[in-house]
Amino acid sequence: MKIVAAYKWTADPQEAQVAADGRVDLSRARPVVSGYDAVAIEVGSRLAKDGGELVGASVGGPATASPIAVKTALARGLDRTVVVADDAVDGAGTAAAARVLAAVVQHIGDVDVVLTGDCSIDVAARMVPAVLAGVLGWPALTDVTAVEPMADGTLRVERVVPEGVQVLAVQTPAVIAVATDAAVPRVPGMKDVLAAGRKPVEKLDLAALGVEPTELTALAGTVRARAQAERAVRKQHVIDTADPAVAAAELVDTLREAGVW
Amino acid sequence: MLLTVEQELTRTAVREFAEAEIAPIAGEIDRNHRFPVESLPKLAAQGLMGMPFPEECGGAGTDHVSYTIAIEELARVCAATAVIVEAHVSLSTWPIWRYGTDEQRKKYLPDLASGRSVGAFGLTEPGAGTDAAAIATSAVPDGDGYVLNGSKVFITSGGYADVVVVFARTPEGGPSAFIVEKGTPGFTVGDGEDKLGIRGSNTPPLFFHDVHVPHEALLGKEGDGLRIALSTLDGGRVGIAAQAVGIAQGALEASIRYAKERVQFGKPLAAFQAIQWMVADMATDVEAARLLTYQAAALQDAGKPFAIAAAKAKLFAAQAATRVANQAIQIHGGNGYTAAYPVERAFRDAKITEIYEGTNEVQRMVISRSLLR
Repeated sequence: MKIVAAYKWTADPQEAQVAADGRVDLSRARPVVSGYDAVAIEVGSRLAKDGGELVGASVGGPATASPIAVKTALARGLDRTVVVADDAVDGAGTAAAARVLAAVVQHIGDVDVVLTGDCSIDVAARMVPAVLAGVLGWPALTDVTAVEPMADGTLRVERVVPEGVQVLAVQTPAVIAVATDAAVPRVPGMKDVLAAGRKPVEKLDLAALGVEPTELTALAGTVRARAQAERAVRKQHVIDTADPAVAAAELVDTLREAGVW
Repeated sequence: MLLTVEQELTRTAVREFAEAEIAPIAGEIDRNHRFPVESLPKLAAQGLMGMPFPEECGGAGTDHVSYTIAIEELARVCAATAVIVEAHVSLSTWPIWRYGTDEQRKKYLPDLASGRSVGAFGLTEPGAGTDAAAIATSAVPDGDGYVLNGSKVFITSGGYADVVVVFARTPEGGPSAFIVEKGTPGFTVGDGEDKLGIRGSNTPPLFFHDVHVPHEALLGKEGDGLRIALSTLDGGRVGIAAQAVGIAQGALEASIRYAKERVQFGKPLAAFQAIQWMVADMATDVEAARLLTYQAAALQDAGKPFAIAAAKAKLFAAQAATRVANQAIQIHGGNGYTAAYPVERAFRDAKITEIYEGTNEVQRMVISRSLLR
């Protein structure tokens, strides 16, 4: 099985500075492999352990191809990685990133499954897996908590849905976006760190992939946030008494008023 | 000093590991004087128990700068765990790797360098601390080996070690080094000391009563003991300097966090020049100590003499750690004097770096001798 784990090299929001007016400053935050994509790499590593190949794929600005970026990703369990570091991709938006990722997947060839994190740690648009699958013409599955290869060549996939856990048999190729519960990313050991320097890295530009920069510019405005609805406020009722009988009566009244019981 | 990508990656990886696995128990093992036995397989799985040894010996095959960074990152959250690793790698595994015969290397290194077994270093005695040549433990030739009698004190991980490099005086040639295995008849371990700091590190006395070891247990030749001990301590000093840098870095970070959060007179402490200057001095101390330490490790990697650089690094880093931890408590005020904040532990942990593996005074002797000879 050939597995691609797509990952983003980006600033760690945990190191963001928040100004008094709420502005978020990421200029001093160290770059990392997006935490959710690290989960995808770990899931891919487990899927590939019985003879599969796990290939990294990353697109972004020049830093994406820096030695620290590629070795950090490789140390997490990739067998090799393919990166596209191009100013035209940097900041071009999620649709453009997905378009270039699709080209990378086609370049790698014979890919059975593309794994991604559910979203990136910085933008969190949750769009790349769906757009990527759309460009490739493959199914996209999101909120995936488990992936297991089956004897008949399909993948057994578990998804968290509002009703519970959905279990699906998925025909490959497919794009699978994993939730944080899917795996705990490994902390690279010293041997992983040293091995990372010996793994192959393929650096491509847009021309090599046959992607025109104007195509990305056109995609840049296709999805735009117009407004954000205010989050619905959940009603809450605090029962503040030390008397269990009073607390029970108040709880019953409150549930009845809410129409729950 | 610019680090290589691998060295930067080592820092990131060990920090992530230390934050996840070591930091959560650091306060508890200190409070309970508890050796963190559950950390050993985790440290081994990360390749931290044999970093600078070749892969064919069971090690990770990293350079010494990377090893130094790893000790620093462990000490940043837990100085006791850092010294457990340091004593195992630098003081016990290293002399066997450096001076062992092929048979000794084959027998001990795969388990030691991979962390499957734990090593210790038995030099100090009740009557021979800084004056290492004055050890009284005896090793008397007896048929097919030697019989050891005597005692050692302050032996890091002594109660948990599978293998101890023990220094004992042979009749003709002065101190010699022996590899003594746990369970050898007559070899017993006392209770761990009740210490000011690094309380998670186990430092008991070792007792040798008619302990028979075979000829194959002799490390190097008879009379090589002092040379083996001193060269081992050269490397150990780089490790302790790294431990001191880590303790200081942890105290500095805690102080910066506290100075930004704590409000007095309507302003965060960080807005007061008195605090700003303390933080500036602390950061400068940490950086200077780090550079001296990395320089010593880089010389070691280059195969150049590094004993003087190691002595300078340990002298400066140990004093810097004590100064920085002291200032960290001052910044924290009354809170810093309580166990509720980590700087109290840093203050107690820092002091030992001025004492073990050669006191400040020994480092000054080493440095001045090189200048005035």
